[in-house]
Amino acid sequence: MTLPAKLQEIVDDFASMSREEKLETLIAYAEDMPDLPERFKTEREKMEPVPECMTPVFLIAEKNADGGILFYLDIPKQSPTVRGLASILTNGLNGCTLEEILSVPADFYMPMNLQEAVSQQRLNGFIGVLAHMKQAAVKVG
Amino acid sequence: MSYAHPEYLVETDWLAEHLNDPNIRIIESDEDPLLYAIGHIPGAVQVDWFSTLQHPLRRDFLTKEQFEEVASKLGITNDTTLIFYGDKSNWFACYALWLFQYYGHQNVKILNGGRTKWEQENRPLVKEVPSFEATTYKAKEADKSIRAFRDDVFKALEAKKPLVDVRSPKEYSGELTHMPNYPQEGATRGGHIPGAVSIPWAQAVNEANSTFKSPEELKSLYEGKNVKPDGEIIAYCRIGERSSLTWFVLKYLLGYPTVKNYDGSWTEWGNLVDAPIEK
Repeated sequence: MTLPAKLQEIVDDFASMSREEKLETLIAYAEDMPDLPERFKTEREKMEPVPECMTPVFLIAEKNADGGILFYLDIPKQSPTVRGLASILTNGLNGCTLEEILSVPADFYMPMNLQEAVSQQRLNGFIGVLAHMKQAAVKVG
Repeated sequence: MSYAHPEYLVETDWLAEHLNDPNIRIIESDEDPLLYAIGHIPGAVQVDWFSTLQHPLRRDFLTKEQFEEVASKLGITNDTTLIFYGDKSNWFACYALWLFQYYGHQNVKILNGGRTKWEQENRPLVKEVPSFEATTYKAKEADKSIRAFRDDVFKALEAKKPLVDVRSPKEYSGELTHMPNYPQEGATRGGHIPGAVSIPWAQAVNEANSTFKSPEELKSLYEGKNVKPDGEIIAYCRIGERSSLTWFVLKYLLGYPTVKNYDGSWTEWGNLVDAPIEK
């Protein structure tokens, strides 16, 4: 399996961390997620409400001049786990081509061994956000 | 009209004045396990519904011995007053409280409004994790009178006892068997247990600050759907967390004598061969 280089780097980093380091790093990713740029705010308001239990994830993709795809997200600060997982994905995939993004397998995160820090159920957030990103990438790709 | 057992609730004002009270232990229990690490009420410890309270192998809670170990490590004695709070209107706080009651802990309370209200009031949140001297906690035998297993649900069905489905309307109607993109938390069939009335959990809390609705509002909500204090009531949702909030409301805020939480909930019933389903 070949992952985009940046994402592979993040996966490898996590694989070598202790449980505590994983938690701290995941929190750092959550805290580093940039705010949604002003120009997407109107679209954000049009977002449909999501069913309870789910964290509302707003996500939009744009294609830049050299063909790379950039993602912009808005996830409530009250949901640091989903924010952290999503932030890993944007850090790992921003600037990638549509083909590279679509080739990321849904279980790419297994070597990170995150289930020791966050329960397997919460890791489903990865699958959810990744699927969401792929759909958004296809639209602009 | 007041709540039937107001002693099971504390307000944020009260807690802010009792942060250093040695007789209480503040326990955060969230849906999102990282929230505690980014900031919690000073002096609070964390339990995670999955990694702390569930059995490591089976789909079940900790055994009595494992539970004793967890409580001892948190420095809880059998007389400590436990104050639970959390995100998402205290779902998982109620879940943790329910489990502590299952193992016989008497003095338990919910922080009305949970994390939401505490944050709204700009009260302090800290990152420092407190440590307490370990104790030797002794749990009681599991109190099965507050927990329903599938066989209890079959019996309740036969006897036409009231069942309360606290999931969202689309889960009740069977349009949704799982949350979008979360197929692993789903069930192979959609719908509800025959005869169960739909009273979504969220109707019991004020959306603005996650506090519980007034006694009058709660009474008319449940009695209006024919869920009355007489007889045994079983509440369920998808994995048992939202229904533990309803369990808390019925048992302590309205004072219904016999209420059980069916923690197997829809992820068990909707996968169970030969179980009747209504849509």
